[in-house]
Amino acid sequence: MEATFLLTLLITFLASFIGYELISKIPQTLHTPLMSGSNAISGITLIAAILIYPEVRESQILQIIVLIAISFATLNIVGGFSVTGRILEMFKKND
Amino acid sequence: MIEIILLISAVLFIFALKLFGRPSTAHRANLFAMLAMALAVFSAFNFDFSKYDSTFYITIVISGLLGVLISKRVQMTQMPELVGLFNGFGGGASGAIAYVELSNSSLHFNDYFVAIFSMVIGMFTFSGSLVAVMKLRGKLNNFSSKFANIFSVFLPVIIFIPAVLEIDNFVIEFIILVALITGIIRVAVIGGADMPVVIAFLNSLSGIAAMSAGFIVNSIILIVAGALVGASGIILTLLMCAAMNRTLLDVLKGGFGNTTINNEYEKDPFSTSPEDVAIQLSYAESVVIVPGYGMAVAQAQAAVKELTNTLKDKNIEVKFAIHPVAGRMPGHMNVLLAEVDIDYEDMFTLEDINSDFSSTDVVLVLGANDVVNPLARTDEDSPIYGMPILDVDLARQVIVIKRSMSPGYAGIANPLFINDNAKMLFTDAKEGLENIIKSFELV
Repeated sequence: MEATFLLTLLITFLASFIGYELISKIPQTLHTPLMSGSNAISGITLIAAILIYPEVRESQILQIIVLIAISFATLNIVGGFSVTGRILEMFKKND
Repeated sequence: MIEIILLISAVLFIFALKLFGRPSTAHRANLFAMLAMALAVFSAFNFDFSKYDSTFYITIVISGLLGVLISKRVQMTQMPELVGLFNGFGGGASGAIAYVELSNSSLHFNDYFVAIFSMVIGMFTFSGSLVAVMKLRGKLNNFSSKFANIFSVFLPVIIFIPAVLEIDNFVIEFIILVALITGIIRVAVIGGADMPVVIAFLNSLSGIAAMSAGFIVNSIILIVAGALVGASGIILTLLMCAAMNRTLLDVLKGGFGNTTINNEYEKDPFSTSPEDVAIQLSYAESVVIVPGYGMAVAQAQAAVKELTNTLKDKNIEVKFAIHPVAGRMPGHMNVLLAEVDIDYEDMFTLEDINSDFSSTDVVLVLGANDVVNPLARTDEDSPIYGMPILDVDLARQVIVIKRSMSPGYAGIANPLFINDNAKMLFTDAKEGLENIIKSFELV
């Protein structure tokens, strides 16, 4: 997905705006799962690591650093979603 | 094809946030977000899985399993630490990626700034989050904020280093070092009770770091998801700050509660016994329970549930009043109460319950202090003046379960404790509740 810088900025702005609007409506009761869920989403930086991994073949040090990034981001995603699921399970059984 | 998958992923992320708005749909929100994430990650491979060696796949599988393992084993009271830890990992990953991009490829001049920005924010989030985790575990004390304030001025400055200096590896590594140290010092000066703000703020930063990493590698989905996280973190940060009537800058400055204000009491509080509390409660028609960090520390949730059941069996109305900054992360008390099956319909926010206190028979304060301190309304010189508090002092009777008369985080006396309608039960929250429940059998 290539895009011009301006268009990218516009998308950034729109995404922030939608995020702000939607999240403002979330009740206090759900703030912890919201935080741990959005925390898991921040691990999406894994994509960047996947994209650059094939580019760093020549340098072993850089390859190791990318692998560390991959490990951290995966931990963030999987652990984050798993723990959010656990928290939300407790809210579900109240229904 | 890839574009369509990414589009679906972005839409799913937004829908997930929408579904997060109600307790009844929130568990579906998590599934939507997981699906969105899976699609986004899948698309990054661009159907070419052979480009990656076995080391790559093994790293992903092991890290994923480790993530599941950690998340299943941790206790609900340790949730703030866990969120902080995962958050640090996310920030660290973004920072590391920015570093690799800086030292590997020939970046466009604009991208240099974005990459350095991403690296600084990511590294700051990483070290700051780890310090926050140690703070939450009580392994680190506050230290002087003066040094930290001087040091933090460097952080915005170093982002602009590439404008004046030729970038080489030495400069990049110097910047990383400054960012890491700033993260450590910055968070180290902030007290434990301000951690809800810090955790939410670092959460926002990890989203911003991911977003800027998206700019470097030209990935729209990364930018969109990063922006959503950034926005969510900022909202929570500002909500927490508003709930304390303090600015973000003021919280980040640290040193709160190190005041030497007169915190003597004019008279002795009225001390009560579990038996008396049980009698008082059994004659009440309405009871409001105010949980604070003391409940989490004492692991008293199960006892709270038991008492709630006992009271409800006697047709006594029980509600929970939850201050936005009670506990160590946003919504902390709600999660702990949900853990023991307390209905979220019974949990009320400050705005929703404050008008009810004057018609409440008994308020039970469990290990909360500053959030029920009436000085916030009356004493203009008090550090907590103007902070929205739960007006429990307006209730007919107040029972405070607390281990001692020691001041809360703000370091000031709480005149509620010597109010004419207040009684103190000096014990740990769990033990106190269990003794009250036992006494009920005798009433």
